[in-house]
Amino acid sequence: MEAFLTGIDSLMQPAVLLAILIGSVGGLIIGAIPGIGPAIAIAILLPATVFLDDLVSLVLLLGVYGSSMYGGAIPAILINTPGTPVNALTTYDGYAMTRRGEAARALSLAYSASFFGGCFSIIIALIALFVFGPYLRDLGALFGQRDILMAAVLGGVLLIAAHRQTMGIAALLFAFGFLISMIGRQSTRQIDRYTFDIQYLYSGFNLIVVIVGIFALSQALNLMVGKDDDPPEARITGGLLSGFREIVGSKVITISSACYGTIMGIIPGVGEFVAQFFSYSTARSLSKEPARFGHGSHEGLIASETSNNAVPAAAMIPLLALGVPGEALTAMMMVVFFDAGIKPGPDIFENNPDFLFSLFTALLLINILVLATLLFSTRLIAKMVYIPNRFLGAFIMILSFVGVYSIRNSLTDCIFAIIFGFIGFVLRRLDWPLVPIVLGLVLGSIIVERLTAGAGQIKSAVDLINRPVSGTLFMVILLVIGFIIWTSFKNRRTEYQS
Amino acid sequence: MVKTAVASKEIYLFEDGLPFEAGQSFQSECPRDKKVKAQNLFKFSRKRGDFQISVVAAGIAMFFFMFFWTKTGWDGRKLPDELGSYVAYQFGLADIDGRVTRFGRILKQSWVAPMLCLFVFVPASLWNLRNSWKEMEWRKRFLLPTSAYFELTKYVAALEYVAYFIIYTLVVPILGYLVSTIILGMFLTWRLGYRSRRWILTGFFSSLGLVIAFRTMLQIKTPLSIWLYDQLPSAARAFMLTYF
Repeated sequence: MEAFLTGIDSLMQPAVLLAILIGSVGGLIIGAIPGIGPAIAIAILLPATVFLDDLVSLVLLLGVYGSSMYGGAIPAILINTPGTPVNALTTYDGYAMTRRGEAARALSLAYSASFFGGCFSIIIALIALFVFGPYLRDLGALFGQRDILMAAVLGGVLLIAAHRQTMGIAALLFAFGFLISMIGRQSTRQIDRYTFDIQYLYSGFNLIVVIVGIFALSQALNLMVGKDDDPPEARITGGLLSGFREIVGSKVITISSACYGTIMGIIPGVGEFVAQFFSYSTARSLSKEPARFGHGSHEGLIASETSNNAVPAAAMIPLLALGVPGEALTAMMMVVFFDAGIKPGPDIFENNPDFLFSLFTALLLINILVLATLLFSTRLIAKMVYIPNRFLGAFIMILSFVGVYSIRNSLTDCIFAIIFGFIGFVLRRLDWPLVPIVLGLVLGSIIVERLTAGAGQIKSAVDLINRPVSGTLFMVILLVIGFIIWTSFKNRRTEYQS
Repeated sequence: MVKTAVASKEIYLFEDGLPFEAGQSFQSECPRDKKVKAQNLFKFSRKRGDFQISVVAAGIAMFFFMFFWTKTGWDGRKLPDELGSYVAYQFGLADIDGRVTRFGRILKQSWVAPMLCLFVFVPASLWNLRNSWKEMEWRKRFLLPTSAYFELTKYVAALEYVAYFIIYTLVVPILGYLVSTIILGMFLTWRLGYRSRRWILTGFFSSLGLVIAFRTMLQIKTPLSIWLYDQLPSAARAFMLTYF
């Protein structure tokens, strides 16, 4: 309880409250503009966080992360274009409702479902902290270097497994990201790895330079090369509060979707899409009108929006508890931890429990603030949908420059950022996933760091897995790999038979 | 006449496919509404240019593999003399007399992590190349377009903006962040086809807004040795250097 009160106290600083406000309203607007999305916004904001206090930086990024999906539902419902990639499923039912003249009802359902999903996972996390907090303090002793190493490897394996139809590409890009993280002079033995005597490469690639390039600059190029959409004008008539009554009427679907979002968020590398897949499929099987799914079903809309909003808070759990990010946005937040000199991991429960309470309470505040903003200003935010894409692209590019340059005042960083931007652009055009590169970079650094730090305790190969946690994680890795092989064979056999 | 009608009916396998005749009810040939599936979230189809980029990806993997032996510290590796027995010993399959090298000492060496990467990178890139090639062959078989020309034009178009970004990066230390950002903002607005006065002014004010937000308010550092500001009176120069 003392940690909780200390956490609340640190949240009450004016700078933190301002960061919550800017992050949540900013994230809402960014989410509502198709083509930007939270990853790009966070990538651009990352360099600015270097100059801010740790909690202020994290709360700012959390605000963008937690609120963008609310905003993303607006264009998905009004003009059939998802504001963020995770709102793709919302278009199926949301836009169909708009075409029936029920735009306000669809928006209201999306807001209330998102709010429920968001609050559900935060409350679960807070309860877990209250109930298990005293026991979790001993968790640090259970987790050594080898356990975190194994958790990072598991994160990578799960990430690849989650890219169901593009596993080969995901593995390729993950390894590419891992390899990039390795370029530079090895600190302990002063051996140059893949530097080719280029002075810039001695210090390795800065993580933020690669992230801004891969996410922000690539999308800027993509938008500028593409065409402007000409979205139809949608009218919102009616109140936005009816959705709360409707989600009470579909409580089984709402709660099951929130559970899927929370569970899938906790598993590293899985994330929103798998959560939506399970919740949407379950909702259809539970529904009395399954045929309406995809044609304006309010239950379908509830399932997709509840599950995707339950993920952000849950995704913070592996990041904070193990120091292993599960997806791109938490990987970017990891950079803030690196800069602040904080090592997220099991020790955080003992050393900084108030910090954990601050973060989750901030997320709760963000959800409340976002809902209040949406109820009063949806019509205004909906106008952002009509900003031309190509014009946006130009300004994302200009914004990226200041972001990259400010890290270490290096023009060479800017040149390398645009090179990574071009690589990201080519991958985007091919529909190849970008997230594995960033996770490869972050998890790669963790793997190497833990491998070097834990090497002293490894007499033989068996020592890598002879601890309770590392052994269990190793078994899970084997199971996941076995599952991947089994499903691949099964799919091939089905293809062959058909 | 009747014979021709019968013959023409024979070419249709199903009743539904028969051409519309007077007296019959009209049948639409529109496909049925597709059922929306959540699996669509994971849908992936290889685009044109995929094969060419897969070749490049495999080339990059091979490049790193080729330089693994010389650029990762492999030259100075420290491995036990009898590697086969050592590996067997790690899994309890053999016994070694005398002092045994700790496995951790091997793991600490600089070439280990790149080797782990390449262990995934090289097979994954080759596997991807194989799948991409199979897809292209399939496309050729069904006479679907395979040329990557269109994609190439898009890459070239993107390179134009890459060039603008590099020029901007080089010009900022000469003209200053304020002037070069406003020029780039207005130029890109014009270049992208928004050429009315309203849009150019929007570009101008948006660029100015960015500079004020990042340089003036957040005080984020931008290049300072600026030729243009040196031409100003000292008070104005100091003000511009501090805030723009």
